[in-house]
Amino acid sequence: MGFLRVLIRNLLAGPSTDPFPFGETFTPKALRGRVVYDASRCTSCRACEQVCIGGAIRFDNTPEGRRFLLWHNTCTFCGLCAFYCPQDAITMTTDWHLSHAQEDKFKMVEHGLIPAAKCVACGADYVAVAPTAKAFAGYAPSAEEVESLRQCCPRCRRKQAAEIAAAKTKGLPS
Amino acid sequence: MPESLALLLSVAIFPGGVFALGLGLGLKGIDRRVAARLQRRVGPPLLQPFFDLIKLSRKQTTVPDTSCRPLFLALPPVGAASMLLAAALVPIPGIYAPDPMLGDMLVLFYLLVVPGMVLMLAGSASGSPFGAIGFSREMMLMLAYETPIVLVLVTAGIRAGGGDGAITLSLTEIMHHQQTHGAFLFDPVMWPALLAFAAFLPANLGTIPFDTPEAETEVLDGPLLEYSGAALGLFKAMSALKAVVVLNLGVCLFFPTAPANPSALLVHLVKLLPMAAGVTVLRVSMGRMRVDQAFRFFFKWPLALAAASVTAAILSR
Amino acid sequence: MSLIRTLSSRSPWLYRINAGSCNGCDVELATTACIPRYDVERLGCQYCGSPRHADIVLITGPLTARVKDKVLRLFAEIPEPKVTVAVGICPISGGIFRESYAVCGPIDHYLPVDVNVPGCPPRPQAILEGVAKAIEIWKSRL
Repeated sequence: MGFLRVLIRNLLAGPSTDPFPFGETFTPKALRGRVVYDASRCTSCRACEQVCIGGAIRFDNTPEGRRFLLWHNTCTFCGLCAFYCPQDAITMTTDWHLSHAQEDKFKMVEHGLIPAAKCVACGADYVAVAPTAKAFAGYAPSAEEVESLRQCCPRCRRKQAAEIAAAKTKGLPS
Repeated sequence: MPESLALLLSVAIFPGGVFALGLGLGLKGIDRRVAARLQRRVGPPLLQPFFDLIKLSRKQTTVPDTSCRPLFLALPPVGAASMLLAAALVPIPGIYAPDPMLGDMLVLFYLLVVPGMVLMLAGSASGSPFGAIGFSREMMLMLAYETPIVLVLVTAGIRAGGGDGAITLSLTEIMHHQQTHGAFLFDPVMWPALLAFAAFLPANLGTIPFDTPEAETEVLDGPLLEYSGAALGLFKAMSALKAVVVLNLGVCLFFPTAPANPSALLVHLVKLLPMAAGVTVLRVSMGRMRVDQAFRFFFKWPLALAAASVTAAILSR
Repeated sequence: MSLIRTLSSRSPWLYRINAGSCNGCDVELATTACIPRYDVERLGCQYCGSPRHADIVLITGPLTARVKDKVLRLFAEIPEPKVTVAVGICPISGGIFRESYAVCGPIDHYLPVDVNVPGCPPRPQAILEGVAKAIEIWKSRL
């Protein structure tokens, strides 16, 4: 007769149903939901694009700069992009209210643009470097040196970094 | 009031027709809600079966190519009509006694067999293999549970018959006999028959543990697989009406004492609740029996109990 | 008429089609329906065993080549009016199986889809949200 005990206990305990969609529901703190991209932190290393298992991330070169595109309808919400990003430019929010009508299918995207810049040294077009980039760490440049390196295209940047490094190591024995 | 008009009203409005359909769907809604609460869920609103029926009337009725079209489309109205008529045949104590011209216990038993037959024929008329499986299962189950109920009806007839051993076939007479001599619920000779009727109830209503013909997860709704739209709605109405008929029959056979004032209807509705509650609790707490297990079960205990009741009734008259 | 339509819209019956899914989304669909925590009967929904009883069709899985014809045939047997919900990212875009030789591509190349619920698998609450949206669309088609 154990089942009668269970039934009476169930009747007395009441429903254990989550109130959604008629009320609020809980959202876990670490839920992997909608992806958010911060272009000002991105160095376009493209690790996220390489590691994305649904092929949801795409980088395109356009005249305005390098464009980032993430389509949520192929995103598996695995979080590998956020895990591997060295700059924390890609993060996952806890927003799971993603269901949409068929018309909005191609609008479930996260856009971003890393602006194009012109090199101060040679005038070539290049993709701007993120202000928070943790690069250039090897030979401890000062803040003005970092700023001047940031405003060069990659070719000029290499030349200028070599000059700065040479100047710093001048006093060392050869 | 002319007799034919009274007959028509009793079939169409009260106690058949509109009243029985409303009562049946209301009982089904209560059953679903109580079953949900017993499982710690919220459950559908109480009027959900009404919404289901209204929605089914708006859907398209599809007829499969492999089916026998005239039979396929004719079966649901036949089933629903038989139950409409049967609802007008069962007396409601204190309120309604059926016109003897409509029929007696034999006609009621015949009409109670019709929904099962209709389901069986629907299974084979739909031309699908799942329907055929549903057909054979329904046939086995009907063979199993019809014998005990016949014996229960015969026992009630003998017990309420005249002193010289006549058997009465009129449900009204059975009801009057109990109102003067005490309900059969308190009669020890009828207790095995009561247990047999309690076993017959879930089988006839098609609820767990005996809902094998319409098993959703096994044969994809069996005979009802190919039905949709208004035809399916008529089948749902038929099962709701059958529930009312069988529950009313239970009250009439075992406990029809009622006050003589208009509150007898309320008393009758209250009497239906324990039976419906028992069916719900059984539905929620058990698993489904295989059709051969159900067959063997019915030919063991309910048959033995009903036979014991008949023997006792014959010996003690 | 609008009263009948409102009342009819309170009884949508759900039917699941697994078009080659890995079963992750199907497990979440079973969770949404059968577990007391995410009771789908509150919305009047009920899982039905037969496609002919269906109103809202929940499709999971990328349409694999093996199952394509059967799914198309099954979909044609579901009576009107019906609403299709693509559950998970596989039916919407092919998901992680997008470039496979065995996958016939997003479902909306073959069937009319009305609501998409992304996720791999989506949360039961997200599926409920999608079903609620589908009920709204279905009500306008009754």
